[in-house]
Amino acid sequence: MSKIKDLQKSLFAGTTSNARQFGMIFALVAIVLLFQILTNGLTLNSGNLISLVSQYSYILILAIGMLMVIVAGHIDLSVGSIAAFVGIVVARVMQDWNVPWFVAILIGLGVGALIGAWQGFWVAYVGVPAFIVTLAGMMLFRGGNQFIGNADTIPVPQGFKVIGAGFLPEVGPDTGYNNLTLLLGLLVCVAVVVREWKARKTRREMDADVAPMWISLIRVAVPIAVVLYATLRFAGGRVGTSFPISGIILGVLVVIYAFITRNTAGGRHIYAVGGNARAAELSGVKLKRVNFLVIMNMSILAALAGMIFVARSAASGPQDGLGWELDAIAAVFIGGAAVSGGLGTVSGSIVGGLVMAVLNNGLQLMGVGSDRVQIIKGLVLLLAVAFDVYNKNRGRFSIIGSVSRPFRREAPAVPAPRVETGQEPAKTPVAR
Amino acid sequence: MRKFLARGVAVGAIALLALTACSERSDGDGAGSTGSEKGFAANSLIGVALPAKTSENWVLAGDLFTNGLKEAGFQSNVQYAAATSTVADQQAQISAMVTKGAKVIVIGATDAAQLTTQVEAAKQAGAYVIAYDRLIKNTKDLDYYVAYDNFKVGQLQGEALLKGMKAKKASGPYTIELFSGSSDDNNSAVFFDGAMDVLKPEIDKGTVVIGSGQKDIKQTATDGWKAENAQRRMDSLLTSTYSSKTLDGVLSPNDTLARAIITSVKGAGKAVPVVTGQDSEVESVKSIVAGEQYSTINKDTRNLVKETIGMIKELQAGNEPKVNDTESYNNGSKVVPSYLLEPVIVTKANVVEAYANDPKLAPLTK
Amino acid sequence: MSDAPVLLEMRSITKEFPGVKALSDVNLRVRRGEIHAICGENGAGKSTLMKVLSGVYPHGTYFGDIVYQGAESRFSDIRASEQAGIVIIHQELALVPGMSITENIFLGNEPRRYGAIDWKAAHRQALELMARVGLREDPDTLIKDIGVGKQQLVEIAKAFAKDVKLLILDEPTAALNEDDSQHLLDLLRGFKERGITSIMISHKLNEIAQVADAITILRDGHTIETLDVKAQGVDEDRIVRGMVGRELHSRFPDHTPKIGEVFFEVRDWTVRHPISTDRMVVKGSNFTVRRGEIVGFAGLMGAGRTELAMSVFGRSYGVYQSGRIFKDGREIVLRSVSDAIANGLAYVSEDRKSLGLNLLDDIKTSVVAAKLSKVATHGVLDQVREYRAAEQYRTSLRVKAPTVDEGVTKLSGGNQQKVVLAKWMFTDPDLLILDEPTRGIDVGAKYEIYNIIQQLADQGKGVIVISSELPELIGLCDRIYTVFEGTITGDIERRDADPELLMKQMTSAKKAQTP
Repeated sequence: MSKIKDLQKSLFAGTTSNARQFGMIFALVAIVLLFQILTNGLTLNSGNLISLVSQYSYILILAIGMLMVIVAGHIDLSVGSIAAFVGIVVARVMQDWNVPWFVAILIGLGVGALIGAWQGFWVAYVGVPAFIVTLAGMMLFRGGNQFIGNADTIPVPQGFKVIGAGFLPEVGPDTGYNNLTLLLGLLVCVAVVVREWKARKTRREMDADVAPMWISLIRVAVPIAVVLYATLRFAGGRVGTSFPISGIILGVLVVIYAFITRNTAGGRHIYAVGGNARAAELSGVKLKRVNFLVIMNMSILAALAGMIFVARSAASGPQDGLGWELDAIAAVFIGGAAVSGGLGTVSGSIVGGLVMAVLNNGLQLMGVGSDRVQIIKGLVLLLAVAFDVYNKNRGRFSIIGSVSRPFRREAPAVPAPRVETGQEPAKTPVAR
Repeated sequence: MRKFLARGVAVGAIALLALTACSERSDGDGAGSTGSEKGFAANSLIGVALPAKTSENWVLAGDLFTNGLKEAGFQSNVQYAAATSTVADQQAQISAMVTKGAKVIVIGATDAAQLTTQVEAAKQAGAYVIAYDRLIKNTKDLDYYVAYDNFKVGQLQGEALLKGMKAKKASGPYTIELFSGSSDDNNSAVFFDGAMDVLKPEIDKGTVVIGSGQKDIKQTATDGWKAENAQRRMDSLLTSTYSSKTLDGVLSPNDTLARAIITSVKGAGKAVPVVTGQDSEVESVKSIVAGEQYSTINKDTRNLVKETIGMIKELQAGNEPKVNDTESYNNGSKVVPSYLLEPVIVTKANVVEAYANDPKLAPLTK
Repeated sequence: MSDAPVLLEMRSITKEFPGVKALSDVNLRVRRGEIHAICGENGAGKSTLMKVLSGVYPHGTYFGDIVYQGAESRFSDIRASEQAGIVIIHQELALVPGMSITENIFLGNEPRRYGAIDWKAAHRQALELMARVGLREDPDTLIKDIGVGKQQLVEIAKAFAKDVKLLILDEPTAALNEDDSQHLLDLLRGFKERGITSIMISHKLNEIAQVADAITILRDGHTIETLDVKAQGVDEDRIVRGMVGRELHSRFPDHTPKIGEVFFEVRDWTVRHPISTDRMVVKGSNFTVRRGEIVGFAGLMGAGRTELAMSVFGRSYGVYQSGRIFKDGREIVLRSVSDAIANGLAYVSEDRKSLGLNLLDDIKTSVVAAKLSKVATHGVLDQVREYRAAEQYRTSLRVKAPTVDEGVTKLSGGNQQKVVLAKWMFTDPDLLILDEPTRGIDVGAKYEIYNIIQQLADQGKGVIVISSELPELIGLCDRIYTVFEGTITGDIERRDADPELLMKQMTSAKKAQTP
């Protein structure tokens, strides 16, 4: 068991919190494979993958912002309403004033920032709990949407649709694939290699054990295989389709926010505030500013998500954004964030969101009705978080517990090892 | 050994995955279908995407489609949108149907204007798209529209309202209130305009008075076709306008709202006015038999579904389906060929014969 | 008095926490109907002993026997001990502010009739109980609307509602003013006449000398002695001698201070309470720190030492009223914690779990947390620099952990404290304020921490140590200020430092020496 753990550690370069995340990745892979079988190969069909990405990109964008909000120890219930509000404003602006679509996008982001500043002000500087402020925002901006849109559906021009329903153009020779998507895939592959190489370099500089070369190879080869496979799938869809533009926007945001949360002082401050606000304050963290920015950022991302949905739907309607906040929150918690704050990662939330998306999509492909889909999604959310809580309770600090079992280590994340032993390398002992 | 194994696994995995991921560009049938196609296989998949289960009619329609398509030898996939994030859910369902290779997709739209991307994708994938009961706007990729003549529905409601009030009180002026449907539903305005087509002359003459003065469709709209919203509006109308006045009639666009309006009036301890309706819902038929709700519209869902399935069969055989209106329904991008069915007004007077053929409603009228 | 039958006997009680022996072989004999005081410094084991008695630490988690009313008792939880008539009144009152006096008295113990609360009976009984403790108030008054003194009485009435035989009061007068304290003490004497036994934990030695029949003194988890007040004519000085003991200088590393010029000075520092802003928590305090000097702040719990330190550290406590801070002869204004850090101040808080550390972090994240800019370029963190910094402290401070990736929850108290120290050493401070730096840490780790403190001083930094353990201050500090009720009451050089003198100045408002 400990060997498996060692391997897990070196394969995933992980501390214990990563084990949980990789449990989620395995769960995702398992779900994808399960549906691939159950739907006779439709799940990994090009067209389906493309529509999967464009259907859920806006929810995943919300999940990024929500992750940061939840890590900081708050919650944001207003994102759906803000998305709808910004959507209708942008649609109106383009329809009534003939504003070009790219200017409209900037206006939308600006409106999002203003709303964010408004909510951030109440949360950070007045000290009203975010739950209340955003509950108010939920009603406020839902009403705003109906006020501005007269509860009508307002269409948006063709150009605007690019961000939600657009694809990369077909350029270059006819390869039978979308060439730009192929290029994109190659870039990601290169990034995977560079990242691993840099990680090795960092480990060496930290005088830490550098994993054997073959482990690095696996850590590069497996993601590259997945990326290549996905690239060919996305590039091989119907002519005129490619990896969706909204998916590219999502990808860029994931990279940026993963970097911010992991590698910058500002990101570190968010975790510090969520983990122990008072201690963070006594370490010189500007509590109010962090809270303000986190809430404001969420609203900007909600604005973007709203516009992407409007673009995809070709119109802004009164039902936009209904229930999105819950999808985003569910994604974040399935992705391993703690309800009390201080824990969670952007990539985890994306994986959590993808689990929900694949589940939804797979069940729809199987023709399962939306009633049962919702029941299943609800159970998955409950079980994923219950599993987490169960693990945490077993490893939680307690006075009596620490007397009786001072040297007990945290239980490994459970589902991972079993799946893993199925993989070849796990059976071989690890040299360290 | 270990290294070799690991490398082998990695290389093998890449090769395997790459092999299975061949391009689908060649096997797709490329350009979208037009009317000149030669039909499709008799056991093809037919997708039916309906709105959330908010009224009996949609539930019934779903069952009828499932059975009817099965009888006709098709495979069917009937989906309702979820109650929350309805539009997004329906979009996802339509995409899933396209992925599964449905040859015809029948859509009862949740939002008339927010499905263009999906309809386009369906068309690109070679499927026919039929708008069922609700027109889909702003897309040239919609093939057909099947519905009851909704303008006619509105006219019938208006006529019934006048007739009902006259029967109770020989001469005017009659005081009425107007309700219309959800403003995001294309049909709401059609019903309303039809009814106003009949009522307007009377209002202008002064024989009919709108008690609250709220006669603009934006004032009368009922968000999401929700009973609670209609009831809330009626409650406030009663308080604001009818503390001393009598209310003679209410134009209600459908049965669910009609019952909500009646509940509100009864709650306020007033006499039940003449209330119109539509959809022939079970509770409303009971109410008509009991003499409370005045009228409903029988838009027999059976006929509508039967007609739609008939269209699908024609398409399967490679024929041009029959339409009876090629000019009224412009969705913003094109005039959609439509097949319109005639609605029937039902009051207590003709309730028995109207539902004689309906296995569920007939027993209620006896 | 001493011939009354024994009500409670605790024999050879030993209680261990990981790495710390909180109680070892403690004995306590309480006779029926007496007021028995337990004295000792903070951390001597008084509260732990009472928690053992009341079942907070259930039978089986400690060694030794409890004989109560002639039979051996094995309480499994607080409920069990309350059933036996043992009721503890904690220093932090367990009352619900938004409920009435009656509701609080019967909370969890409501008189019922046919399953519903019988408010009539509750009212009647509440009035009775209130009369017994001399509380004249409308029983419907909300707790938040009465003063602390009266709240204390409600707590006692609540104890009576549970049919108390042995009443334990933990620092009952700490938050009370003179009059309320006197009333409470009178009340205790009244109970005695009615045959109720009380155990009282208190720092106020004058009160103890006034009301107690017997005094048991604890030090470092051991029973030192039990004094019979009347027979032995015990006075405050006698108690102090028992509390502080004699062997003072053995537990500290040898150190020759290299003291330089005064570089840090606080003048006329006054701070108001953050919520009840009319209350001054710190009043006109003046102090100085010299380079290379270790300065101690001595005072009893609630004296305002922490409040003084935190308010100086970027106004992180209370509402600033007046006062000036000078560093290296220049006046500085510290409006926020980041100002304080930028000006070379560091504050290691008293409660490392709730104020010092983010328990979700690992060692390296904790070490760099207070000065991320040192391991970042344009806000982007450099993993390697972070790792190296943390690793350096891990080795130099001898933190017992395999790597700096270890989560801080997995460390022992002493090692956690080292991590917190590392976090603040990493900010390159000129002045470190250490609030109870050795609380809850075993003797070995304490020695290491003393070593670190002395090294910091030798580097020319100023160090302020706030501690409730007088021997620690005397053994470690070059100079000690005594604090009483928010005011500095004494400035004592190391050579004059004597526990009895300190204790006297810590417990009285009389200024012995002006700083």
